[in-house]
Amino acid sequence: MTDLTPITALGADKPAKQQFGPLRISENPAAALASLALRRGASRPMPMGLELPGPGKWAAGHGVAAFWTGPDQWMIEAENRAIEDFAADLTAHAAGCSITEQTDGWTVFEIVSESGDAPIRAMMEKLVNLDVAAFGPGSATRTGLHHMSVFLIRRSGDRLAIMTMRSTASELWHVLEETAKGLG
Amino acid sequence: MLIPHPLLGLRDAQEFTYLGDARLIERPDGMAEGAEAAFADYVYLRDNPAGVHRELWFHEQGDRSWLVVTRDTVTHEILGAELARDVALRGKGGAA
Amino acid sequence: MTRLSGGLIDRSRSLSFTFDGRTFSGHPGDTLASALLANNVRLMGRSFKYHRPRGLIAAGSEEPNALVELRSGARLEPNTRATVAELYDGLSARSQNRIGSLSFDLLAMNDLLSPFFAAGFYYKTFMWPRAFWEKLYEPAIRRAAGLGSLSMQADPDAYDKGFLHCDLLVIGGGAAGLAAALTAARSGAQVILADEDFRLGGRLLAETHLLGDEPATEWVAGVEEELASLPNLRIMRRTTVFGAFDHGIYGAVERVADHLPEPGGKPRQTLWRITAKRAVLAAGAIERHIPFANNDRPGIMLAGAMRAFANRWAVSPAERVAIFTNNDDGHRTAIDLAAKGIEIAGVIDSRTDAKALGDYPIFAGGLVSNAKGRLGLTKIEVRQNGRSQWIDCGALGISGGWNPNLHLASHHRGRPVWDETLQSFVPAKDGPPGLIAAGAANGQGSTAAALRSGAEAAAQALAELDLKAMMPELPQAEDAVSKPQALWHVPGKGRAWVDFQNDVTVKDIKLAHQENMRPVEHLKRWTTLGMATDQGKTANVTALAVMSELTGKSIPETGTTIFRPPYTGVSLSVLGGGNTAEHFRPRRLTPTHHWAKSQGAVFVEVGPWMRAQYFPRPGETHWRETVDREVLATRKGVGICDVTTLGKVDVQGADAGEFLNRLYCNGMKTLKVGMVRYGLMLREDGIAWDDGTCARLAEDHYVVTTTTAQAGPVYRHMEFARQCLWPDMDVQLISTTDAWAQIAVAGPNARRLLERIVDEGFNISNEAFPFMACASLTICGGLRARLFRISFSGELAYEVAVPARFGHALMQRLVKTGKDLGATPYGTEALGVMRIEKGHAAGNELNGQTSPQMLGMGRMVSTKKDSIGAVMSRREGLAAETRRLVGLQPVDPAQPVVAGAHLFTEGAAQSMATDQGWISSAGYSPHIGAHIGLGFLAHGDERIGEVITAANPLDGQQVALRVVSAHFVDPDGGRLRD
Repeated sequence: MTDLTPITALGADKPAKQQFGPLRISENPAAALASLALRRGASRPMPMGLELPGPGKWAAGHGVAAFWTGPDQWMIEAENRAIEDFAADLTAHAAGCSITEQTDGWTVFEIVSESGDAPIRAMMEKLVNLDVAAFGPGSATRTGLHHMSVFLIRRSGDRLAIMTMRSTASELWHVLEETAKGLG
Repeated sequence: MLIPHPLLGLRDAQEFTYLGDARLIERPDGMAEGAEAAFADYVYLRDNPAGVHRELWFHEQGDRSWLVVTRDTVTHEILGAELARDVALRGKGGAA
Repeated sequence: MTRLSGGLIDRSRSLSFTFDGRTFSGHPGDTLASALLANNVRLMGRSFKYHRPRGLIAAGSEEPNALVELRSGARLEPNTRATVAELYDGLSARSQNRIGSLSFDLLAMNDLLSPFFAAGFYYKTFMWPRAFWEKLYEPAIRRAAGLGSLSMQADPDAYDKGFLHCDLLVIGGGAAGLAAALTAARSGAQVILADEDFRLGGRLLAETHLLGDEPATEWVAGVEEELASLPNLRIMRRTTVFGAFDHGIYGAVERVADHLPEPGGKPRQTLWRITAKRAVLAAGAIERHIPFANNDRPGIMLAGAMRAFANRWAVSPAERVAIFTNNDDGHRTAIDLAAKGIEIAGVIDSRTDAKALGDYPIFAGGLVSNAKGRLGLTKIEVRQNGRSQWIDCGALGISGGWNPNLHLASHHRGRPVWDETLQSFVPAKDGPPGLIAAGAANGQGSTAAALRSGAEAAAQALAELDLKAMMPELPQAEDAVSKPQALWHVPGKGRAWVDFQNDVTVKDIKLAHQENMRPVEHLKRWTTLGMATDQGKTANVTALAVMSELTGKSIPETGTTIFRPPYTGVSLSVLGGGNTAEHFRPRRLTPTHHWAKSQGAVFVEVGPWMRAQYFPRPGETHWRETVDREVLATRKGVGICDVTTLGKVDVQGADAGEFLNRLYCNGMKTLKVGMVRYGLMLREDGIAWDDGTCARLAEDHYVVTTTTAQAGPVYRHMEFARQCLWPDMDVQLISTTDAWAQIAVAGPNARRLLERIVDEGFNISNEAFPFMACASLTICGGLRARLFRISFSGELAYEVAVPARFGHALMQRLVKTGKDLGATPYGTEALGVMRIEKGHAAGNELNGQTSPQMLGMGRMVSTKKDSIGAVMSRREGLAAETRRLVGLQPVDPAQPVVAGAHLFTEGAAQSMATDQGWISSAGYSPHIGAHIGLGFLAHGDERIGEVITAANPLDGQQVALRVVSAHFVDPDGGRLRD
């Protein structure tokens, strides 16, 4: 085990977490991420037993989750495995695929509502140009957010994850903070 | 504008980056006889129709697909969109 | 004047406000305009050009005259229409566009000079002498004309933006809008109902008709209650839909907190981008006035506005009023005001067969031809049957018919169509696709027709979306169709105003006609008609009619006028959507940002990135001192620099090598696994575009880098090549820029420093890991890492990459562990100096104007393979280019080298024709002890040793420079390979 101590994307030793009315926003540094792309002519694998979802979708199961990022391309999430070489493990489970480590490429903020889906919808309306009504549980997409490039995952009616490039994590946190305050 | 993404449905044009004429897909062979003349055409000559135009859009804030979008440049009506990769493969006589 | 009875104001509460320093009181439900009227204030502004005293014309957002500066201090907002400023306790407003007081404006002398300010005066008067424009004319015009003034302070409030999607957007909450919203919402569609007013109801709030057997306000309240209970409908009050854009996208501004003294933590306004499958335009109509001499006296207003003030706000502009009309609608104002106890001096109706519809004097076939009362109307001149008489009245309501408010319907160049019966333009069918006009906005202005057409428009929209409409039962309502007589102005002497906000008169239009500025587009620009902030909402159609009279053509033949977004003014603050100051655009922070901050680094913006520019130490007084130290410490010991910002792209697949071979002008397929190669990318036109390195980690796996600035465009280009040019290749791409913290370790002690952090088992010796080698390894006790032996500084150098979260700790470790080796962090400034010393091309050299030949890399362009730009780089024009990258050093070391200076043969005349090239990069080299530069010089490769002249005409500098090799440091590259 390395003796170097990691820091979070916001430059702290502990992940950020804050409550805004019914919304709890927290940074999730523990999830490992790796991209998976099919090689030409390869058949779609079931990495770690997970069926890979179709365009615009996210699916979870068998300790991992995946969302579609482009034709023949997915991002695989593995909770609490950020510190491991998850990409290497995934490579072993996905023959015929190109795997690339993305754990620190992206910073994940989890937004959880304590009062149903309305606060999540209100938040989304202020952040992204997506039809919220059509972005139900199990939806995932990349889009623009305040001139940043983000992935949005609707994990359930009352849970939304927003991922941004690690270098813009502070900026996204600021936007989430301001937006959540403005809803109050 | 809204672009009808073949896989993701209607998406706002703000998510896309525009390139131009879809003929850019038909890149000449640089090792062929007369390549320089072919490239002069390819690089510099474009039709600029007031009307139906096939053009390349990149879904930069999206799935990173290049699309061939058919658009009326006068009305901005969009008549269709397909993955540029499919168009390119068809052009090469391969399977999409 | 005291309040009338009734009205939709809350008399149980009083709100105090000030206007021009005087304190008044009003009630919740008031606008600033209605509250001022209730306090007997009729004079509210000065006109734009002539500074004529002006009062209210309208009761809504079309108001051209009553523009005020609202609030004070940093929150001051000029050009606010008093008719839409919702009253709150403590509101303060000032009149604007005056010097002196509102009633005695020094600039009113412009009014006496009016013969000089006629149509086209800007073009005729201020043309010469040329030199006078900037110093004299423009400041004088800006001072005298123009509207309110800015606070010159930063806006203290927050703004935000948002995005909504719906099946149907209903624009306007009057009779037609409510019927449309009700129909669509009951049918289950996703509906947004937006209205600019703070209260739903539109014109229904200003009328006394019953709907069914209840007052209109009761019906509105009932509908509002039902709409509020439906989850599929969103009511947006205080929301102006200001523009229709492509494919059903609408812009709207919600004034979230404009009606509050301070926003109190909320955004003041929100910019909404609404994507609607269909929209119903139910924006109502705007009444026309009828120009006559001195028709701009305060107290002369639209009859419908007068009625609205009486019915909704319980105020009248005077105790005794007259009405001038060409249709039945004007009579309604007389009836309603009389019912509230206002004395009606008479209804002057231009129709000879007009009859009184109530108990008031009627002047059938009459015209109002003049008015008196500079600061407030006192008398009007009435002409009837060849006689004229002066009648006393304090206010005059004018009704010249109604123009459908078709602003948004013309945003896609939908040209309005003339309706002869209505004597007005109605929305064209070729307006924004999916936008259906209804109600008065479509010329269906009776209450019954508005309700019906609103419901039908919604049903049509739903049908187009394959949704079945549930038609609501609509109440019985008045169904009078008002057919106005064509009456566009009253001929006579004196100035008759057409466009109040821009001071355009009937005479100006005649002059434009005389000077052959007859097409509408010319008329507008010559007279400035319709070009004020109100876009001529109350003026354009009247002006067209006057022009048609002069040309003898019909109104539609004369032309039509269309509008552009925004419908009403939109503040730049809200268009910014809250992205201001340091959040104007997202900043990207490097993995060592927080560490650099703790070290007191000075930062610089590099594209979106914040990078450490240099690390000043205590006692250092000048940035150069710091940078010189960092450079020398690196060249002597070892320097450390975060280079994460370079774009990184992971390239995998069986054809990865072939793919890169075609992207880079030099070969990449032959690169051995475990090695790195410099790569140059060209544009397809043969010009150098971007450079970087390709590292081959495995047979089918490369990692390539791009410059910081081009990371996005290069990735896009790579995807273009992969998907569009060579879709049959087996290649997968993904950016990994943010995933890895990459740190450069450079200098003679670099290897000794890295030896201390690489894990046992990795052989970092020069033999095992030579120049341009790369490897995956572990460091610091098992941390996965990548090591590249590449150099930008010209020293023995490496770049080490670790997962980004460890970048901070790795930087700390390197500085600490390397202390005895002289480990020194350096920033972008030292990086730049060292790359100039080494003669490496960077952004200044890869500026989109240079070919590989110019960069001295002509021979890198392989002729054995096809690659992007290779063919065109060999074309005649580029092959004949002789300028080459050289080093430049001043003959006198005290002299500066200035980037951008142009190069000339010593002693030669300096002109475009004799220009020999330019200096692209320059800086002070502590290694050389003088300023040095890189530049492109004609035949530069053959002129080493020659003395040339660098000319910087901006500063009048002429500096003698010696042409040298671009490699100021270690020209044979021995240090790199040591």
